Amino acid sequence: MSKATIIPFGPQHPVLPEPLHLDLVVEDETVVEAIPQIGFVHRGLEKLVETRDYNQFIYVAERICGICAFGHSLGYAETVEALMGVEVPKRAEYLRVIWHEISRIHSHLLWLGLAADAFGFESLFMHCWRLRERVLDIFEKTTGGRVILSVVSVGGVNRDIDSTQMDEILHILDGIEDDYRQIMQVMLTDASVKNRTVGVGHISYEDAVSLCMVGPFARASNVAYDVRMFGHGGYGELSDFRPLCATEGDCYARVKVRCEEVLQSIAIVKEMAAKIPAGDIAVPVKGSPAAGAESANILEQPRGECYYYARGNGTKYLDRMRMRTPTSQNLAGMVSVLEGCDLADVNMIILTIDPCISCTER
Amino acid sequence: MFTSEFMPLALENVASEAAQRKSDGWRFVQLLAVADNTGSGDRDNAVDLVYSYMKDGRLENLVVKNVAVGEDEAKVDTVPSITDQYLSAFVFENEAHDLFGVHIANIAIDFAGHFYQVPVREPMTIISPEQKEAHERAAKMAAAKAAKEKAAAAGKTSGADAENAAKPAPKSDADIEAKLAGLPPEKAAKIRAAMEAKAAKEKAAQKGEAGNE
Repeated sequence: MSKATIIPFGPQHPVLPEPLHLDLVVEDETVVEAIPQIGFVHRGLEKLVETRDYNQFIYVAERICGICAFGHSLGYAETVEALMGVEVPKRAEYLRVIWHEISRIHSHLLWLGLAADAFGFESLFMHCWRLRERVLDIFEKTTGGRVILSVVSVGGVNRDIDSTQMDEILHILDGIEDDYRQIMQVMLTDASVKNRTVGVGHISYEDAVSLCMVGPFARASNVAYDVRMFGHGGYGELSDFRPLCATEGDCYARVKVRCEEVLQSIAIVKEMAAKIPAGDIAVPVKGSPAAGAESANILEQPRGECYYYARGNGTKYLDRMRMRTPTSQNLAGMVSVLEGCDLADVNMIILTIDPCISCTER
Repeated sequence: MFTSEFMPLALENVASEAAQRKSDGWRFVQLLAVADNTGSGDRDNAVDLVYSYMKDGRLENLVVKNVAVGEDEAKVDTVPSITDQYLSAFVFENEAHDLFGVHIANIAIDFAGHFYQVPVREPMTIISPEQKEAHERAAKMAAAKAAKEKAAAAGKTSGADAENAAKPAPKSDADIEAKLAGLPPEKAAKIRAAMEAKAAKEKAAQKGEAGNE
């Protein structure tokens, strides 16, 4: 009979820059239990809402995470707008969708590069990040920032994208798309990728539903849930949107879903750029949220559904701002999928969940 | 479009509601705690809990009001864990315990207060001076507004003639106090000092005029 041994994983680990610790209980080479531990980088950002007014807090919200920076500022702004009954101009909604989808391309390309690095495909990692640089160039040209964009404000956006810039974005995206299709083909067909991902870390549809998983992690197990399908904000203007799912439920399916979502995001940006109406990009917002007023909002971040909650107190400061990030919702699924896997596959499984611990702890 | 609603939930129904929602196919979205710093509740140290569930584009936020928290075990409310129904809630239940001091019984993966490495206990229940000041200011503004409305209503019923009503009424002390209550204390102090200086100047001028006569 084999003896159970506890192997610590993280919080410092070569495959995962995020401070996640796991106590892996292993018997021979098989993980029988995984006990997660986070809490190493809790920064108390939600508490800051008491000392920054509702306009200033946008800059705090987008610093929760460098990869979902735009998404957090957007989710926060939409929540405060719902709290105060603010209607955002149509053009601003389109611009928000364009930047949000470009952020998703940036996030997925970054993740695909990290995944390639994890299974030792260095050149693929370099190519993914090379394309990501071109996406960051779009941000720099349109907002002035590469990671923290600071373009969202309560009531709209701070900057417009004129027709020349829009043409340039489309031109860059066309170039990215051509290169990306080649990378995607390698990612989905190369034997060295498949050897590490096919059949690894399988989670069934029933378990994914039962564990309330979200994002590409859930969609890879055929859970057709994506907040964008509700058509909130500018997404309501899309001619068609369907969540991209896979049925396999393994690491390969999670790679595949993210690969296809990059092309979906490029198509969304193109459609929005073609249909964007002229008009104002923001409305002036005056006053303060009423005392005791509450609002809740959800947004599809690159890693999955993110939940936002705000409560006003009659002043320009909020009583509470809450962000429930996709990773915190997926931790239960991660613990579940690690049980029974090979020790050598742990890093690959954790990576395909794309955990963001800084987001989770805030 | 998805819809978002808030509805009340009694503390004793937390577990049964979770079981019912699970069997009806609802997805558990999140659990959050909000410190009740407004003093509106009937307990000194209490939080509200918000359980969110989603199904078919309906986001329902169930609010459990006034849950007693703190270190005194005799006075706190014990909240049942819903991790037997929704395992994903373990993250939020541990967070509510570590940051707000909510006592939650039988969490499936219980970190017993070591989920977050925070330097102070229950940091989210500490009322910052800024927040306290904001609450006091909001309360003063609300009281001044109510007094003004009451005075306006009384003036209307007394039958003030239209000519007088058309004239801009001189600012009463209550109006000025209401405006000052909404300003930061340093600014309000400066304005008060300026007003006192102006009053003193006017008084001195009146004295001078009387002397000349």
